[in-house]
Amino acid sequence: MTMLADAKEKWAGAVNTLTLGATAGEGGTRTSTVTVGGGTGVPFMRFDGATPHPPVVAIEIWDREPDDWPAALTAAWGKAVKSPADWARKAVEEAGADLICLKLAGTHPDTGDRSPAEAAAVVRSVLKAVGVPLVIWGCDSEAKDNEVLPSCSQAAAGERCLLGAATEDNYKTLVAACQADGHALIGLSPIDINIAKQVNILISEMGFPLDRIVMYQTTGALGYGLEYTYSIQERGRLAALGGDKMMAMPVICMVGQEAWRAKESKATTEEQPTWGDPALRGMLWELSTAVTLLQAGSDIMVMRHPQAALGLKDMIKRLVV
Amino acid sequence: MKTYTVTFLPDNKTVSAARGKTLLEAAEAAGVTITSVCAGDGVCGKCRVLVKSGKVTAQANIFLDRREIQRGMALACQTSVEGDVVVEVPIETRIGGVPQLASEDAVRFSRPSELVGEKACFPHNPLCRKVFLDLPPPTITDCLSDKERVFREIRRVQPAPVMQMGLAVLRRLPGVLRDGEWKLTAMLGWRGETLEVVDMEAGDVSDRNFGVAVDIGTTTVVAHLVNLNTSETLSAKAKYNSQIPLGEDVIARIMCASNPLRREKLKELIVDDINDLVAALVQEAGIRLSDVTFILCAGNTTMIHLLLALDPSNIRREPYVPAVRSCPTVRASEVGISIHPRGLLSTLPCVASYVGGDVVADVLVSGMTRSPDLSLLIDLGTNGELVLGNNEWLVCCSASAGPAFEGGGIRCGMHATRGAIERINLAEGGRVVDRTVVDGGKPLGLCGSGLIDVVGELLRIGCIDRRGRYMPDRCGDRLRIGEADEPEFVLFPSEETALGRDIVLTESDIQNLIRSKGSVFMGAECLLDYVDGTFEDVRHVYIAGGFGSYLRIPRAIDIGLLPDLPLERFRFVGNGSVQGAKMALLSREALKYAEDHVADMMTYLELSTHHKYIDGYSSCLFLPHTDIEKFPSVMKGKA
Repeated sequence: MTMLADAKEKWAGAVNTLTLGATAGEGGTRTSTVTVGGGTGVPFMRFDGATPHPPVVAIEIWDREPDDWPAALTAAWGKAVKSPADWARKAVEEAGADLICLKLAGTHPDTGDRSPAEAAAVVRSVLKAVGVPLVIWGCDSEAKDNEVLPSCSQAAAGERCLLGAATEDNYKTLVAACQADGHALIGLSPIDINIAKQVNILISEMGFPLDRIVMYQTTGALGYGLEYTYSIQERGRLAALGGDKMMAMPVICMVGQEAWRAKESKATTEEQPTWGDPALRGMLWELSTAVTLLQAGSDIMVMRHPQAALGLKDMIKRLVV
Repeated sequence: MKTYTVTFLPDNKTVSAARGKTLLEAAEAAGVTITSVCAGDGVCGKCRVLVKSGKVTAQANIFLDRREIQRGMALACQTSVEGDVVVEVPIETRIGGVPQLASEDAVRFSRPSELVGEKACFPHNPLCRKVFLDLPPPTITDCLSDKERVFREIRRVQPAPVMQMGLAVLRRLPGVLRDGEWKLTAMLGWRGETLEVVDMEAGDVSDRNFGVAVDIGTTTVVAHLVNLNTSETLSAKAKYNSQIPLGEDVIARIMCASNPLRREKLKELIVDDINDLVAALVQEAGIRLSDVTFILCAGNTTMIHLLLALDPSNIRREPYVPAVRSCPTVRASEVGISIHPRGLLSTLPCVASYVGGDVVADVLVSGMTRSPDLSLLIDLGTNGELVLGNNEWLVCCSASAGPAFEGGGIRCGMHATRGAIERINLAEGGRVVDRTVVDGGKPLGLCGSGLIDVVGELLRIGCIDRRGRYMPDRCGDRLRIGEADEPEFVLFPSEETALGRDIVLTESDIQNLIRSKGSVFMGAECLLDYVDGTFEDVRHVYIAGGFGSYLRIPRAIDIGLLPDLPLERFRFVGNGSVQGAKMALLSREALKYAEDHVADMMTYLELSTHHKYIDGYSSCLFLPHTDIEKFPSVMKGKA
């Protein structure tokens, strides 16, 4: 009997490898670093190509106490939400966060309007509290981000953080800051593969190295555009594997932020008595969204609920065995 | 209804207008031409006039800044008459001047004499001939009728199975024959396969046989006077299409023509244009109007419909069907064109609603159908027409590029006429090193080639990014925020310009150009995809269109309008439309070839239903392209 050889897909390209966080020996103060990317095949298809660095889990924390999060979500963190440093510590210790994603929501002109100096102080406090690498995300107000992010970038200089987000209309300030302080950068595009690539080109034309860019192609939650996100991410990953250097960046997903916007996550028992325990429901909604996006080709999963984060870590471990 | 008088300066023409009529309507009634791209919808901002005195009410608009409104500037289509008014039409708003004729280089390439005549592709066999006949007078044994006698004699010099002679000529025939002692000149015109004895004159006037070839462009009308006996071009003239005030692009004209009265008006306007051109040509060459025996027009499908007063409305309705593709030869006077009273008018056949006889002419002139090499022809205008093929097959499409290449939709855009910047070189920081202005003098605005040059240069020196957004730190003090809260780049400050108004380039101008170039490039990609080819397979790229000749190929590649191919593969056809019309005028074989081997051979690809077009278009909205690997030389230049 002759054995048939396995039919293997041959890929010309690979996902860029990116290490976040710098230890004392590398000019930073991190006690651990995180490396993502490097995949030479479709995710988890080990027979086709390797996934040398499995996806990592970041926990999203805010610089102010969130006032619009569902009770089921804030309850999971308890008092920690009042202090970014405590929150970050708890996220690492209890939810196993590989990274902390600090969202500077309090700097938005409508919700706190905190100064660049205040934001930089929060960044310093979080860096002091935990040893994992940091993702620093602005407040989604272009003008304010352009003031705040450069000072946060400076405050974290040398720590090899990941800063976001650069858009096709607003990238110059952030690119310059990340370049000066040795950080990596998130390029944001609105579920559009062309714009994703254009943002990467625009950033790289400023002399920023391609291998320090992470793509955020916008996340859609389960039931709220997940399939669009999925197919865009999948197309992007296939382009990368096909050899497109301008699409070979690792991908970040803002899972928690989107999943907890769904009414299926938010609704209380009073509103939807037949939908089951809200604490469990929202967490599962977030986890299902995350697990789906893993298959499309995602590298940094930003989660909100500690149990969802732990569940996702477990799932990743089982997928890469 | 109360009426007032409206006086237009500097023409000093006065009309009466009912209260509430717009200044644009009044101008039309007065016969004053005012530039309007949108035909009065208030969305183009081009019909700027200065209200010197009198009461008007103006709708709010986004095109005029506060200072301009204080000076009395108004949009003619948005301003209505409320009293006796005096209005000045500034130079920028007047449709004046004479468009540029294709440059010498472009005319030299593929002169018809190289394509028609002995040893050329097509024999010299004009659509109208004048033949001197010395007839044997009838005798008792040779008692053929006068008409058959003439036909017999003609057939000795010109084989023609089917011949005809109109009643008017027939009535004069016995007299002309006998008064001229059986010596006469027959004017013979081809109407398809039929040879018509169009007219006859006593004596030998066979050396006086002239034809006119016309390119009816949406923007520009160009006419050449040709000696049909010697193939020599005697003179060439151009003018702007007078239909422009009724709509700048074909769609606007078609909409205008849906009203039968307006359709008739549009016909009159183009017929008047042609008559003006013919009269000027004849005067310059010093010949008689009645010696012009044939006129051949090439134009896009809509222009031909409007010339013949055919209803074009189905051209813009799905499934985009024109009334006619190939029109019969008719008496020119039937349409209102003044040449010889019985002279003939014909048009080059069209292919589809958006690929007309002008493109057929381009292909004919380029010679791409006589070579096995794969060629791509690009006719750049408001519609970018593209043809791909060789001696065996042709596919074509029309990409709606928008008016940017004609200077439309661009803040300081203009047609390629006096004062238009057609070439420009910039240094670091955006300083203008040198520029070429049509007819010299101070610059007035940017025409299509100038626009492409500017954007290419701004990109080269890093003043804009690949998305067409300004990089403030590279532009210095030339960049400012305009009234509409949008960054704009000052190319020429007011003191250096013809109008004393800054010539600027706004980010929306750049976006308009990006959309235009994107649709042309994507059209070419779709054609190649349709036949499973790549740009590498294309051996020759022909660039047609009046504006094409001034285009700097490397700049056009830098911005992604043209594919990144070695420069020697590009060739300019110049105004292929008028050249092709001239070839057909001089050679029946060329006309037949245009019908059978060009128009009928072309497979039309409708882009609006082509999935790849929609998909790929957005990746073209980048400089040069999102898939930057498609432009290796641009990548290399950067590195």
